[in-house]
Amino acid sequence: MKNRLRALRAERGWSQAVLGDHLNVSRQTINAIEAGRYDPSLPLAFKIARLFDRKIEDIFEDEK
Amino acid sequence: MTVEQATYRFFKVFVPAMVAYVAATAGIVWFSDGGALPPFALYGLTLVPIGAIFLAFWAQWRFAMELDEFLRLIQIKGTLIGIACIMIIASGWGQLERLADAPRLPVFWLLPIFWTIQGLATTFISKREGVF
Repeated sequence: MKNRLRALRAERGWSQAVLGDHLNVSRQTINAIEAGRYDPSLPLAFKIARLFDRKIEDIFEDEK
Repeated sequence: MTVEQATYRFFKVFVPAMVAYVAATAGIVWFSDGGALPPFALYGLTLVPIGAIFLAFWAQWRFAMELDEFLRLIQIKGTLIGIACIMIIASGWGQLERLADAPRLPVFWLLPIFWTIQGLATTFISKREGVF
């Protein structure tokens, strides 16, 4: 699944580790989500959306 | 909890458990070969490696639960590969023993084979997923 996480993180000047700290996940998990290798669970997607004050569909793009 | 903390907590239990397992197994073989202990005592002694195995699996479970969802998925995938391989080896070799007179494979070896495959599979998946 494509997403805008890398761009949103860059807007805030955060490293993957810092974003991981905010979401209580590892840097490796942030890296995997940004690279599109891993689709987060719904609770984590909501957490990400809340953190960036966006809707989930503004961050994650359904490639169907 | 960070990955480093979870990993430290895992090895803090897993390594001593494996040392106890190897030491107890060697001790049982030594006592058994020397005939120094009666059979019921040897049965009792086997509780030590069994307890060590239980501890090791508990540490593995706790480790997976303390990781985040992505890293936990990698652990679960590696464990499933380990289980699948050990079932294939055990069942396949069992058929060979039954039907083709293959040499007997002691079931004792299934656990070390499982841990080896699980460790290699988890490492391979982690590398492929860019974890390190």
